[in-house]
Amino acid sequence: MNNSVLKGTGYVLVHVPGMLMHHGTTQTTERSVNPDSDYLKELPGHIRSYEDCLAYPPNQTYIGNLSIEALSAIEEPWFDKKVETPSRFGPFGEVMPEDEFAVLMQICDAFDLVHLDRGFVRNVKPKLEAHPLITASMHALIKEGQDSELIRKQVEREHAQPIIVGDQLVGYVKRAHDVDVNLSAHVIFENLVSKASEVLTILHLLKQSGLDPADVDYVIDCSEEACGDMNQRGGGNFAKAAAEIAGLLNATGSDTRAFCAGPAHAVVEAASLVKSGAFKNVIVAGGGCTAKLGMNGKDHVRKGLPILEDCLGGFAALISENDGINPEINLDIIGRHTVGTGSSPQAVIESLVTNPLTAAGMKITDVDKYSPEMQNPDITKPAGAGDVPEANYKMIAALGVKLGQLERAELPAFVKKHGLRGFAPTQGHIPSGVPYLGFARESMLAGRTENAMIIGKGSLFLGRMTNQFDGISFFMQKNTRKESPSAVAAPALITDLPVIGVAVPDSESGTEMIRSAVDSARKKGYQAFLIEGDDCLDRMEEMLKSGEIDAAVAAHYAFPVGVATVGRIQTPALGREMFLATTTGTSATDRTEAMVRNAIAGIIAAKTCGIAEPTVGIANVEGGRQCGRILQTLSEKGYSIRFAESERADGGVLMRGNDLLRGSADVMVMDTLTGNLMMKMLSAFTTGGGIESVGYGYGPGIGERYDKRILIVSRASGAAVIANAVDYAAQTVKGDLLTIARQEFIKANKAGLQTLIDEVKQRSQKAAVPKTAAPPKETCTEEIHGIEVTELDEAVEALWSEGIYAESGMGCTGPVLMLNHARIEQATRILRDQGYVR
Amino acid sequence: MDLENQKRVKEIADQFGPENVIVVLGAAEGEAAGLAAETVTAGDPTYAGPLAGVSLGLLVYHICEPEIKEEVDAGIYDEQVSMMEMVLDVDDIIAEMTAIREQYTKY
Repeated sequence: MNNSVLKGTGYVLVHVPGMLMHHGTTQTTERSVNPDSDYLKELPGHIRSYEDCLAYPPNQTYIGNLSIEALSAIEEPWFDKKVETPSRFGPFGEVMPEDEFAVLMQICDAFDLVHLDRGFVRNVKPKLEAHPLITASMHALIKEGQDSELIRKQVEREHAQPIIVGDQLVGYVKRAHDVDVNLSAHVIFENLVSKASEVLTILHLLKQSGLDPADVDYVIDCSEEACGDMNQRGGGNFAKAAAEIAGLLNATGSDTRAFCAGPAHAVVEAASLVKSGAFKNVIVAGGGCTAKLGMNGKDHVRKGLPILEDCLGGFAALISENDGINPEINLDIIGRHTVGTGSSPQAVIESLVTNPLTAAGMKITDVDKYSPEMQNPDITKPAGAGDVPEANYKMIAALGVKLGQLERAELPAFVKKHGLRGFAPTQGHIPSGVPYLGFARESMLAGRTENAMIIGKGSLFLGRMTNQFDGISFFMQKNTRKESPSAVAAPALITDLPVIGVAVPDSESGTEMIRSAVDSARKKGYQAFLIEGDDCLDRMEEMLKSGEIDAAVAAHYAFPVGVATVGRIQTPALGREMFLATTTGTSATDRTEAMVRNAIAGIIAAKTCGIAEPTVGIANVEGGRQCGRILQTLSEKGYSIRFAESERADGGVLMRGNDLLRGSADVMVMDTLTGNLMMKMLSAFTTGGGIESVGYGYGPGIGERYDKRILIVSRASGAAVIANAVDYAAQTVKGDLLTIARQEFIKANKAGLQTLIDEVKQRSQKAAVPKTAAPPKETCTEEIHGIEVTELDEAVEALWSEGIYAESGMGCTGPVLMLNHARIEQATRILRDQGYVR
Repeated sequence: MDLENQKRVKEIADQFGPENVIVVLGAAEGEAAGLAAETVTAGDPTYAGPLAGVSLGLLVYHICEPEIKEEVDAGIYDEQVSMMEMVLDVDDIIAEMTAIREQYTKY
């Protein structure tokens, strides 16, 4: 059975000096026990600026901007060193500043518990709107804010926890219950911080992996917090709460806890769920922890260092079905600390490292890299905890010596060769094994590393339920599928002879015509063959999946929404080649969004066919102007587009019928139906509207996360067009369509594609009026049960029409209607009068 | 030293008499071993725990010191400690522990 693979990772830091001062337990304990202490007086002088935190080398490593090797080359200590050109965003994630995070917390609050200062929101909201990953649906959740006087009162008199940014009180988190300590402001604050940082990390993971949020099946949260109320203190579920905000509509999830070992347990669970076939895509994620901020602050201050524990850490990984490319999680090699293991370091390392390797017939030197607890030594050394990763490597090596796998003299060399410098913040669960996953994946994909062992360890005794230690380790290896004989070559390995399958059921000209088209493509030097039979489209998909063919030419094939095809044609007036974007499929259901995405698809197709900077024109159809405006903004914001000029006297980017005939632009953008019409007309005009005899057909399906090369021809396509379609298909392999598509969409998203589209959509949604408009939203804490599920939405509207805000939902025992507690009596009366409840 | 452990050491010393108690440490390096040893002899140097200002003067050793190693069954020592012994700077630990004992231990 196939192992699952690690398809992507996300790593996020949030610089939070305000939380460090006011919510880290070292500081809060000191403030209550010893309010006049020197430590508290000296503390503000040891706080780093955001810029310093960003330039701190281990932080740049955590988000993937600085390799572990480059970090190791910098002489320790690192706190006084700076990366020359630090960047907020890296391949794995970002370092978010505290002001933006405060607003993100408010976005993640579903119960009206977080309130921010009106002026603060005004200043910070635009920053979040410019953030490349915060979605429009998240922007929509940002509230206007409250007056500062009210905020002060809440903090001073109502036990609210302050949100402090740069010495200013900018908001508060209030308690969710008057008596229940599990819903106190303090606990809610911690939990919302964890949730918000988890959401941010998941967004980065989705961006990096290119996975459609709708394709995530399950989320496992592995943070160290607990959410629930006095009747179920750790009831959960952070996973689902974060998934909701991140827009993972088809996902469910649950929380896994094991102190610092949590993430390693969660990855093993995720890999098992995928390998078993229960789910295809599982995300493991953990948000940050306020309590641990400045945990070693006293030592850092005493030794004259800045307080280095000033960041929340977030981690996420995507475990998916084996794709023949990404590194595998080999579930045959799992180290486990069992109840019987005991807690001496020797027994722990044996159980986690040498026992599973010995069982698999391996020696410790067979593992390229070990990733144990990856704490940054800059933080732990001044606090007397030493260099934690290094201590782990020495223990592994010493055990190797005891087992006779290593000479004692080789011990330092082993540590250097198989070890890694620590670079992770000391956020408990964050450093434990998993910080290396991102680099490990990159290194295995590039063939630099064969395998790695990830080791999670945790101190269970802290919870006072058992005195035991805990740990679990797992083994990652380069994808093994491509080495088997029936294997699929990774796209990058395909060289000069791509294999193209042709599947055209029910051609209007008969199978013989298709056969002659394939023959003619062969004569031109292409490796093409006909896939016949009623189930030819199914078999074509299987062949693509197995790698038997590299691309396919098909008729009658349905793409998912989000994918549309870019046709290629010779224009009749001057015989120029032109790409029609798009001709079949649906790139988006909203017309303007579809046209914008069609433009990007057209650019991708043109670039794939070797046009480095294609000119782009927009057909003068409904929505053309709006599409043009968005493309222009996109171009100004960094997604550079070379616009074509109409050949009519008044010029402009909007193309008229004449321009279509002349081919005034390399890429002609239009809605798909118009594109389809133009394609048919321009392909069939020489035959008087009979078979389509000119051009390359309707072209490859292109979409933001689409990963197949399938090109469309019609049942009316003639032999010449089909042979040309084989040529176009081969070009999508040689020109590496999929990589170009990925790169173009990343560039477009960086320039704010989604935000621009969302703005347009929001405007069109506002224009549509629902049957009964909802009254202003109120916090819904009460439930009314007993309404028939088929009448639930009607009941909600019935209340709306009476001016009562309500939402429908699903409770533990069936459908519920949720509303504000002040409305419950009036609402019950209305529902009873109208017969919805008895 | 962990505040909970300080509390337990103090309770045990009160219950059995400080002269009847030996503390065996397992710290991973000299400085940490020295701090823990100082805590159970002179008192908590960080003034944070129950042993702040309490000089118990207990006899204290590290598990890798020869005095203790000789008391332990060789097979069990090999199984539980020998790996760490290879990793630790035992000489440094012995020097730290000896210094603390000479200065503060009362028994």
